Formats: sequence, C-alpha cells, structure tokens
Amino acid sequence: MIVGDLKPLEEIVSAIKEYKQVLVLGCGSCVTVCLSGGEREAEQLSRELSLLQHYQGRPPKFEVGCILRQCERDLVIEYQDIPAGTDAVLSLACGAGVQTLADAFEPLPVIPALNTTFLGASDKPGSWTEKCKGCGDCILIHTGGICPIARCAKSLFNGPCGGSQGGYCEVGEGIPCAWTQIVARLKKMDKLHHYEEIHAPKNWQPGGAAGLRKRVRTGLGEGSNTKQNKNS
Amino acid sequence: MSYFRVNENCNGCLACVENCPASALSFDDHNDKRTLNHNMTKCARCGQCWRVCPQAAIEFQHLLVGQWDEVIALDLIHCQVCGEPLYSPAYRQKVESKLKSTSEALCPKHRQSDAASKWPLMGPGKATAKLGGK
Repeated sequence: MIVGDLKPLEEIVSAIKEYKQVLVLGCGSCVTVCLSGGEREAEQLSRELSLLQHYQGRPPKFEVGCILRQCERDLVIEYQDIPAGTDAVLSLACGAGVQTLADAFEPLPVIPALNTTFLGASDKPGSWTEKCKGCGDCILIHTGGICPIARCAKSLFNGPCGGSQGGYCEVGEGIPCAWTQIVARLKKMDKLHHYEEIHAPKNWQPGGAAGLRKRVRTGLGEGSNTKQNKNS
Repeated sequence: MSYFRVNENCNGCLACVENCPASALSFDDHNDKRTLNHNMTKCARCGQCWRVCPQAAIEFQHLLVGQWDEVIALDLIHCQVCGEPLYSPAYRQKVESKLKSTSEALCPKHRQSDAASKWPLMGPGKATAKLGGK
C-alpha cells in the first residue's frame, strides 16, 4: 500500500492560514489503513487546526469529509461534494489523490496534509516498511522475493557492500542488510544459484527515467458514466 | 439489503459482471428470471461496474456510504449512582478475574468520589489540617 505521514502541523497551518473555509478531506484507502489520512485522522486534524493558538488572526472554518479513494477522478467529480464557501481543500491523501483533486476541482487550491513516504507493507501491527520502488521491471524472482532496490540503502544489485555488519546495514536504526536477507532466503529455497546468475544492466526507463509513466487498459471507460459519454 | 444497488434502468446486459475485476458480481438465469448477485467480501469498490454500465443503472453511492449493520447486542451494566452505561457482564467478569477482586459498577467520576469517601483524611483540606495541627 501507499504509506504517508502527516506533515508538521506548523507547515499545514502556514499553508491554510490565508483561507476562510477549508474542507479537510480524508481518503478511505491506503492512508486509512496506515492510520495517517482516513476519516478519523481528518477529524482529528480539523480539531487541532481549529485551535486559536495556531493563528494570529481568525482561524479558517473547517468542514470534514472522507471519500473512498481520492485518486479516481470520475468518482471524485461525481460523489465528492464541495461545501459552498470552501476556498481550499486540505487533502489527507497521497500525492496521487492530491493531484487528482486538484485536477478535478481546478482552480480550487488543494493542499497536501501528508508526505507520501513509500510503497510498503505492514509486517506487524502499527509498523510499515518500504518494500517496493515501483521500478517497472521486477527482479524479485531472482532475489528470493526481497527487493534490493527498495530495501538496500544503496540499491545494490550484486550483493552486500562493506557496510553490511552482522546482518545489518551500516545506515543503522536496526535496518537489516537486504543482501544478507536475500542470500539467506535463497539458501532456504535451495535457489542460491540465482545469486550466481549474470544479468544485463538494469533498464531504468520503466522506472520513470523515460518520463511520465502511464498504463492504459483498453475496453474500459466506455460506459455511460464516463465523462466523455456524459458530455456527448 | 445489498450495498450494490441498481435502479430501474438496469436491463440485465451483464456489462458489470463481465467487467468486475474482483469477480464480485455474478448472475443466475433460472427459468424465466435473470438474477444479478453481488458479493461484498469480494468487492474492491473500484467503481468499474459503475463506469462501464451503459444504462447508468448502478447507484454507486451506496457502496461509498452504506448503512450500519448490527453485529451483536449485549446486556449492559450501568453506573449504580448516575446510570451511565459502563460495560457488559462478560467484560466485568473478565476484568474481575484479571484483578482477582470484585468491583462496584461505578463510572470514573463516581469511582473517584467513592474512593475519596473511604479515605476521609485524604479528602480536600483534611491532610493540610492534620499537618498544620502538628
């Protein structure tokens, strides 16, 4: 899932203080599950932002909402009401959601309340760890299901560096060495020969180095609810 | 009541069934009836059904904001002073077994005043008076 973290409160206050009425909008998917941007967090943030102590003048008036996914333009346009008088939206979605809202409700300013941090997974309750960089050319078949691009601090492709000590990365903070984990996993799988395989240099174009990435699945979007059909 | 609802525009074309990426929609043709079925546990609420429906028949708002379903109804113990709802008998039993003691059914406010009344010397002003008397 996409993991996000609330921005520092001062940064949010500084971004919204010029507005009179702000819609604080949670997103009901990834950021709800990682407890940073769902309906509950939107209500909590709105309560905190309503405190006079954050402002020199009058604080904005806050409305709170939440929609299942902020990253689907047609759903947002159809189902997300913007209360009358709203002059800015404070979005608790990931960057994809914020941009979708900004496109959908242009020219209404849409302010991000979260920093989108990584694509990760929850290994235990309350803890999320980065697992994927979205490189567009998955190599997990060769690395025992552990991604060295996301989980090695240097994104190395050929094994542990000199900073790998006792199974941990020199970066510290108890981060395991991804390559130590990969070798251990391959051993368990009896697939250590994968480690010996020589691979061509990685093509980073599918990872975004060739510009904006886009995926088109044909055969969808031809029903009566799509915008082009509604306008026709 | 299903969260997946269609209006009278539905003509049973099955575009939604064919395009549901989560296989959450199915149909039964039995005798003279075509029945559309929805499985909420499979549904990703992705909106593809709503997008592809050529009849604008799918009322997706019910999948965005649905009703609450009652899960269980338990007996309730109230504060014996003010009547504030506290907990279920099973919860009380669990706590008492963990604490290895019984407790009176009191809300936090009345538990506090009850505790204070049992320790008169610790009441407001009492401790000071006692110390001052030395």
